[in-house]
Amino acid sequence: MNVLINEQYDIYHVAHSGVPLLRDVKQLNPDVIIIDIESPNRDMLENLNKISQFAPKPIVVFSEQQCANTTINQMVRSGVSAYVVGEVNQKRVKSIIDIAIARFDLFQTLKQELAETKQKLSSQKSIDKAKRWLMETKQLSEIDAYHFIRKVAMDNSQKMDDVAKNILSVASIF
Amino acid sequence: MFNIEKKNITLGYMPLTDSAPFVIAYEMGFFEKWGLNVNLTKQNSWATLRDKLHTGVIDAAQMLAPMPIASNLGLHGQKSTVIAPMILSRNGNGITLSTKLYQKILSQHDTNKISMPFSANILSHEIDERKKEGKKLTFAVVFPYSCHHYQLIEWLKNSGISPSDINLLIVPPSDMVPSMHSGDLDGFCVGSPWNAKAVREGVGITGVTSSDLWQDTPEKVLGLMSDWQVKHPETTFALVSALYEACQWLESIPNRFEAARFLSHTKYLNTHIDVIAPSLMGSCLTLNNASPRKVKSYQQFATLGDPTFNRPAHHYGEKITKLMQAYGHINTQQMTDVDIASIYREDIYQAVIYKDK
Repeated sequence: MNVLINEQYDIYHVAHSGVPLLRDVKQLNPDVIIIDIESPNRDMLENLNKISQFAPKPIVVFSEQQCANTTINQMVRSGVSAYVVGEVNQKRVKSIIDIAIARFDLFQTLKQELAETKQKLSSQKSIDKAKRWLMETKQLSEIDAYHFIRKVAMDNSQKMDDVAKNILSVASIF
Repeated sequence: MFNIEKKNITLGYMPLTDSAPFVIAYEMGFFEKWGLNVNLTKQNSWATLRDKLHTGVIDAAQMLAPMPIASNLGLHGQKSTVIAPMILSRNGNGITLSTKLYQKILSQHDTNKISMPFSANILSHEIDERKKEGKKLTFAVVFPYSCHHYQLIEWLKNSGISPSDINLLIVPPSDMVPSMHSGDLDGFCVGSPWNAKAVREGVGITGVTSSDLWQDTPEKVLGLMSDWQVKHPETTFALVSALYEACQWLESIPNRFEAARFLSHTKYLNTHIDVIAPSLMGSCLTLNNASPRKVKSYQQFATLGDPTFNRPAHHYGEKITKLMQAYGHINTQQMTDVDIASIYREDIYQAVIYKDK
């Protein structure tokens, strides 16, 4: 649900997962449910209508006439799934879904960027450490230590990060 | 060998013991041998697996035997022409009651043991007691269009219990045991290894298996989109061939222990081998610290050297359709509309498996 945090929506309740989610849903009686497609709770939610009066319909059924197949594909690929409960203005639902997809995409991009930055930081860290070890034990200047790592990496077609890690694992023996 | 149209394919499966044909074909190199480069993806819910298959995010998947029929009728999600060119497994489900409920039943019947497989008669007293208080027992199955659902209902009906006498929830397989721990469930019908996990953790008693109810009914099938198969006929053949080889491999008991080891891995079932191995050995754990029960073909993937086991024969599709009708999932009109031969594709299976025989 945090995909909806923006100027248009406020969060006032965080739903539980598992069986308690059903109680939450019954109690709050929402108009639309937007749920991460990877959530194991989807099966439970989707089939509520088989077991109670409360009948959330998957947006894929609802949107058959409304939006083209591409929207559904886009939803699945973005990791968004949604359910409509009762009578809701279809235009409004479409706009909520569009926002959810956009937000979710943004969220995924941010998550990926964060992972990449973390990776870069950690490889920078090992290169710095390996450089320092070379400077201390081999009496190399900083620039020579850097060139040494780069040369080994190029000669062996490895990443500098991997070479640095190898140096550090050798260093740890001594 | 085949002229593979699409070498890199993505397959979806659910974390269950009967995902073994996918895991084994991957780990033992059968996919590779048949020219496929497979990306195996674990799914968290049947709904997601279905949506990903319908929209082409995954190329093929392990499916509950009634799911392709439900997809073709548009019973869930979008109406989609899913086909099943192969049966992957039979049996493997069990009905587990919470230890708490079982203890209560024992005291109600003034006994310290109930012989197994037990009938749903043992629940009648407690159902009546709860009725007086306006309450019901809560059971769960994994998906509405599943053999688990029909097996649980049939087990109850055999003892004169109506489905309306209980609350029925849909809970994904790996969430069954936590939901029993939290006291939300009094019982469930699920596939291996989740019954065994409930027993090992002391929270449940497994008293009936699908083998006791319907011996050898197809449980999981290979599912893919009809237009995908038309576009990739040879890739489909290669996929069926690799899975067939994995199913045959799984018929040997020594191999089955190895399969349990693979399945227990974090990236697959992420569960202890203690929990996974028993059903693969034909053993049904009953209650904690008691002798397991020997169950014939508890987990069946093939018959050695006999290809008919995995053939998606029409009569199985028809049997499942009848069950769907009997339990109110489809009406008479849908029953007439559904064309089983276009869903359970015996022809594809025959073309590949009997090719050189």
